[in-house]
Amino acid sequence: MGELGRMIATKQVSPVEVVRVHLDRIAALDATLRAFITVCSDAALESARHAEAELMAGKTVGPLHGVPWAPKDLYSTKGVRTTGGSKILADSVPSDDAPVVARLARAGAILLGKLNMHEFAYGPEGINAHYGDTRNPWSADAHRVAGGSSSGSGAAVAAGLTPGSLGSDTGGSIRIPASLCGITGLKPTYGRVSRAGVLPLAWSMDHVGPMTRSARDCALMLGVIAGYDPADPTTSVLPVPDYGAALTGDVKGLRVGLLRAHFTDAATSDVRGAVEAAAKQLEQAGAVVDEVNLTQVTHVAAASAVIVASEALAYHAPWMRTRPQDYQPDVRERLRLGVFVNGAHYVRSQQIRALLTREVDEALARRDVLLAPATPLAAPVLGERETTLGDGPSDVRAALLRCTRPFNFSGHPACAAPCGFTPGGLPIGLQVVGRPFDEATVLRVVDAYQRITDWHTRRPAAA
Amino acid sequence: MLARMEISLESLKRTATLAGFAWTDAELEAIRPAVQRLLESLEQLEQIPLGSIEPTTQYRVL
Repeated sequence: MGELGRMIATKQVSPVEVVRVHLDRIAALDATLRAFITVCSDAALESARHAEAELMAGKTVGPLHGVPWAPKDLYSTKGVRTTGGSKILADSVPSDDAPVVARLARAGAILLGKLNMHEFAYGPEGINAHYGDTRNPWSADAHRVAGGSSSGSGAAVAAGLTPGSLGSDTGGSIRIPASLCGITGLKPTYGRVSRAGVLPLAWSMDHVGPMTRSARDCALMLGVIAGYDPADPTTSVLPVPDYGAALTGDVKGLRVGLLRAHFTDAATSDVRGAVEAAAKQLEQAGAVVDEVNLTQVTHVAAASAVIVASEALAYHAPWMRTRPQDYQPDVRERLRLGVFVNGAHYVRSQQIRALLTREVDEALARRDVLLAPATPLAAPVLGERETTLGDGPSDVRAALLRCTRPFNFSGHPACAAPCGFTPGGLPIGLQVVGRPFDEATVLRVVDAYQRITDWHTRRPAAA
Repeated sequence: MLARMEISLESLKRTATLAGFAWTDAELEAIRPAVQRLLESLEQLEQIPLGSIEPTTQYRVL
């Protein structure tokens, strides 16, 4: 995105040309990928012509002047339907942009359309009964999941249908599709980016953040969207640093903790090997790497399921009473489970959350970042229910969430980025976790890794 | 250790009704295995010694 922005600003390419190329790619590939729910061709071209006229008049409005992008379809977009991937909101047209959408527009970005997702963001596979299952562009026969819930964002960025996206992440929904599709996705610290105007799944676990091809582009988007927003009372008043300036390429002396039990050691052998190799490469670049375990993490799956089930049902109860038939079956079943969780369970889960947060803070008191797989496996086949990880058989859904969910629980910033490929050609994702509000160091580590590797530059054959 | 009792359809129905949901027997039967697994995991959460740890009620909003 940054490179496109520079080329547009220096008039090497026209924003109209750039938008047209992306619309042509969507027309050519999206019937197979099903990454888009809505494509705004006419509006995007009109915005591009306006951006070009401004440029010719010597005016640029921001670092993304004329650069196309597309959000997951749960961000409010003025005059453009926002479905949440659902039938229930199929005709819902917001009267305002979500504040982060408005910030990107003010920086000059052009909306291409809205991206597919697991219905109401409640699932890590990225399947959708209403708009079609998003397909992983790395799977030649299009039979593997893109990962969710921001599945359209993962597939569209990987296949070059958009250079950037905003996803949302309640248990890994930015990092899982980033991992499975071979792109870079950042879940910022809870409170760093406004969630106003974004359909909730579970208020206390939801995070929004960028999905792009590189840490540098994530830094660019984060710099635009981060910061206090009076419409979201959980946003922080802490100043927003210059994330781009933090990307020095230097990791000498940085202390990196490789997360072992539950994370790296539980991954498939391909993933474990790639993550260990990444740790070694960072060490060779000057980082000081040691190993660390989080003992409280074993309780996260049950406790976070309680919190998400409770909060999600609180939001969906009115529709679950009047229109249950309009939910896709897996989402309806998950929402129904919320009925069987009581207040004591919820509070107990919040106590466990305090325990884990403290433990992650302690691990990061002696280290700058933690390293783990983003997902312990590469992209599963659509409909696959069971898989085998390094520590035995696992339900696919639980496996996908396993390495990301702890940091929704604790609120720490975490970035997924490609760190290799399986012998079958599927991307493998690394996860870098940092201290609260220290996205700059997380992005610095990922960017340094991307300067010494080329995994993030590889493209699926379909693209 | 006693084997966990299987949750009955009647219990499911009573809980759902109390929460204001009128689900059919077939719908409840379909989610019964998932509810059973959920209750087992909640039982495990009960075993964790949490002492006087304050629950997280708010993030570190600065």
